[in-house]
Amino acid sequence: MARTLLCEIVTPERILYHNEAQMVVAPAADGEIGILPLHAPLVALLKPGEIRVRVDDNEVDWIATSGGYVQVHEDKVIVLADRAELASRIDVERAREAKAAIEQRIRELPEKDEAALDELKWYEVQIAVAGKAR
Amino acid sequence: MPNLRDIKKRIDSVHSTQQITRTMEMVATAKIKKAQERIESARPYALAMVEVLGNVARYVSGASHPLLETHPERKRALVIAVTSDRGLAGAFNSNILRLTEDIIRRERAGGVETDIIAVGKKALGYFRYRGVEPVAGYRDISDKPTFADAKSIASHVIGAYSASDLDVVYVVFNHFKNVAEQRPETHQLLPIERSVIESAEKELQVRPEYLFLPSAGAVLERLLPTYVETLIFRALMESAAAEQGARRTAMKSATDNATEMINTLTRSYNRARQAAITNEIAEIVGGAAALEEE
Repeated sequence: MARTLLCEIVTPERILYHNEAQMVVAPAADGEIGILPLHAPLVALLKPGEIRVRVDDNEVDWIATSGGYVQVHEDKVIVLADRAELASRIDVERAREAKAAIEQRIRELPEKDEAALDELKWYEVQIAVAGKAR
Repeated sequence: MPNLRDIKKRIDSVHSTQQITRTMEMVATAKIKKAQERIESARPYALAMVEVLGNVARYVSGASHPLLETHPERKRALVIAVTSDRGLAGAFNSNILRLTEDIIRRERAGGVETDIIAVGKKALGYFRYRGVEPVAGYRDISDKPTFADAKSIASHVIGAYSASDLDVVYVVFNHFKNVAEQRPETHQLLPIERSVIESAEKELQVRPEYLFLPSAGAVLERLLPTYVETLIFRALMESAAAEQGARRTAMKSATDNATEMINTLTRSYNRARQAAITNEIAEIVGGAAALEEE
């Protein structure tokens, strides 16, 4: 049997995802990185985007994340995500509504609000990932 | 002689209060379990983060970062007081408020001005009533704090600290020791003590050669604020669990007291009833004797 990776995605609130994988693709700060078994030890910053976990030849799990870190060591991939959600569990309707609400709020705010912009980005990522995973 | 009907009324009212306290006790017991589970499920993230922190620290020893710098002059301190939204939890909130007052007094004595961030309606109400307007207040989060709440509090203090508007930040919260015990604690949040990073580094079991993307310095820069957020999140969750623990203890003794009170009241009710009957018999006997004499 081929060598596999152990992929774990944790958020501050819980362990979101835990599975054996052939390959993990993560959105590093300066471009996507693919992680295969026997990868060198690595710590990378992640930007908002999608994580793709190739479980076997015909199954790929998609996960949306708002950024964080990934640590790779001895075939164990740990993603520390600020926020993350499985693509299959994203409620696109609700994300759209939330996105519209936050856009409205940003327009009304007199100055730039980093937290609101982060929030907006997170909904955009969720919608994008849910669309692509289909 | 207490009136029979009055005693009966009191028994009924104590009884219905007891039903409420007993229900609250049971609700708190159920909520403790959930709050504990939340603390448990947050642990993997915190552990993994400390591990990354230790690994990064090896590559950037002596790194400088605004959150690691101790400011030369101490002019302004901030205390995050974590209380609950609801009362009826014994000394839970007053312990926190007293500890916060202690810090304020100590800092003022040293010529340091103090700001407050109030978490929970109890802290908000307490400080507003005393004419101290908290710089930020959070309510309706004490039951089920989210990481977003912690992040919002963190961004407030990190921003002010980096801009040198604040020189030291404390968080005061109830530590959840076990179901029956809560201990109010004060932790220094900022500046982050270097010993934290050093001990994270020491705890590493394996020390592989890591690659960093984009660089170890950049990772550290992002990691330190996250570290502060995680600490605040932990304090919020500990407090949520401790609140339920304190409420359970308080409600249990309230229920016990009510039982005792009902017993005492029932005894005096019976005594009063017996006295009334004896009285009536005496009157009848007296009346009959009076008739016979005629």
